[in-house]
Amino acid sequence: MSDQVTCSAIVSFAQRLEEASSKFYEELAGKYAEGRETFLVFARECIKNKVLVTRTYQETISDALEACFIQMDLSNYPSEIALNEGQSYQVALEAAIKLEENAGRFYSDAAEQSKSLLATIPRAFKRAAERRNGRRARLKTILDKSK
Amino acid sequence: MDVVNPANCKAIAKVPISTRDEINAAVEAAKEAFPGWRRTPPLARARCLLRLRELMEERFEELSRIQTMEHGKTIDESRGETRRGIENVEVAAGIPSLMMGYNLEDIAAGIDEYLIRQPLGVFGIIGPYNFPFMVPLWFAPYAVATGNCIVLKPSSEDPISQVKIVELAEEAGIPPGVWNLVNGGRTVVSGMLDHPGIKGVCFVGSTAVGRDVVYKRCGETGKSVISQTGAKNFLLVMPDAKFERTIAACMTSFYGNTGQRCLSGANLIIVGEGLKEHESNAFYRKVADGFVAAASKIRVGYGLDESIQMGPLRDESKKKSVIGFIEKGIEEGATLKLDGRDVKLVGDWPHKCFLNPSAFEDVTPDMTIGKEEIFGPVASIMRAGSLDEAIQMIHSNPYGNAASIFTSNGKWAREFQYRTQCGNIGINIGIAAPMAFFPFSGMKDSFFGTLHGQGQEAVRFFTESKVVIQRWF
Repeated sequence: MSDQVTCSAIVSFAQRLEEASSKFYEELAGKYAEGRETFLVFARECIKNKVLVTRTYQETISDALEACFIQMDLSNYPSEIALNEGQSYQVALEAAIKLEENAGRFYSDAAEQSKSLLATIPRAFKRAAERRNGRRARLKTILDKSK
Repeated sequence: MDVVNPANCKAIAKVPISTRDEINAAVEAAKEAFPGWRRTPPLARARCLLRLRELMEERFEELSRIQTMEHGKTIDESRGETRRGIENVEVAAGIPSLMMGYNLEDIAAGIDEYLIRQPLGVFGIIGPYNFPFMVPLWFAPYAVATGNCIVLKPSSEDPISQVKIVELAEEAGIPPGVWNLVNGGRTVVSGMLDHPGIKGVCFVGSTAVGRDVVYKRCGETGKSVISQTGAKNFLLVMPDAKFERTIAACMTSFYGNTGQRCLSGANLIIVGEGLKEHESNAFYRKVADGFVAAASKIRVGYGLDESIQMGPLRDESKKKSVIGFIEKGIEEGATLKLDGRDVKLVGDWPHKCFLNPSAFEDVTPDMTIGKEEIFGPVASIMRAGSLDEAIQMIHSNPYGNAASIFTSNGKWAREFQYRTQCGNIGINIGIAAPMAFFPFSGMKDSFFGTLHGQGQEAVRFFTESKVVIQRWF
């Protein structure tokens, strides 16, 4: 069952999601030399996503647009992924793929739910979803190659 | 005087009450700064405003949090207010274009004529408590951009965000004396209205003060005036309205800012145009029940919690006033379907200033709750058999600030827009708030004056037109 949440709750969740993801990829970059470059790029992209969503929200929120209540249950999108010591590269990649799936789903749902607002808001969520989905595909390719 | 956060009832600041001498000093400072500021090129004035805008963007979150703490609104509402304030600074920064006059050559043989807009001097701005950050910015950036100086009095209940703006204005390079702030209540307002050094006054507040004090006194003392006042806004739901989106829009309209908004929905008219009686009854029930069900789910609490959808009223006296209206509604025969007096909060906060959403059915336009401004989270649900009857109901009310219609029918929408005597019309919009580049309009007992705040009309208000007819021998 979906909850009615405020626009700011959605944006705050996106911010936390991107911060946690960025930290996660920095950790991966430190642990797995073979994927270091990719993980560092992903970590930087997370910050870009955070800026994109925050800026879009701050620039468009206005009482003329009727600060929206969105139907979403944020617990459906787990964003905290812990890595165990000594975990293999493949397991880490699988965890990253899971993270990207959750994040992509979150942004796609947020884009769908915010369609009635100014176009820039769903567009920002959609853009973030595209980035996340693209990364998931890239991680899958890396995982396949590593097997 | 203490500034009290209405959610936790804690004092967060002390505001001084300016004396008559201090008001005089502020006006004198403004008068002194005026010649130099007026001669500052519009582009240079615009750059000051662009710097102010940047500073506001940098402090976006801080400014928003202040509003939630000083007023009680939710953080989303505060951020929206910050954005709307900044937009006025952005629009006013276009003053080199906005302030241009016009000309025509050869109005007679060898004679040209042109119009220039010139600033007048010192303006007074009196802000309300319900939008402490945004409303003064409907006027102040335009006054300053056009080369005038201002003396601004924010509401004594929540003046902190305006104090912050003055600090930022100074940091942005606006010279001393151009943007002045005084604090206080009625005495300070009287001092500003009577001061011969003030050329015009912008006021937003109640009709009683705006019409009977500000507008009247400005007429007596020869000041130009924008007086935007009370409201009783009607929202019409037609049978072909998109149900879910209409209900969602109604929630923010009726209960956003805890109903303390001059554009808030107050009366919901469910219109059975073109329906048979049993269809009309079924349609009424669907909308009324949907409205009440959605209102009952609104999460009430401290606005800094991002899950909260409605905050407290600004203070205890306002809560008492709203309760008085609810009691009057019951006494006059309306049916209270949702009783917000039974306070249920998210979080452990004192109940002192909180109410939950209320909704009445069986309200008629002549009942107290149907005709007077409640300024709180109370909805009055009414019925009309036709669009014509609904428009008559709107016109029977003395206010004319805003009205909205929810429909998929262009003919009904146009008819509504064409006939309704309200300054701000919404078509499938719950809060018909004009953007900064449009005037914030109003009619009947909701507005006193000629020109409105925001955009091009504000530029005209803060300037006088000088016409030059020129011939060279």
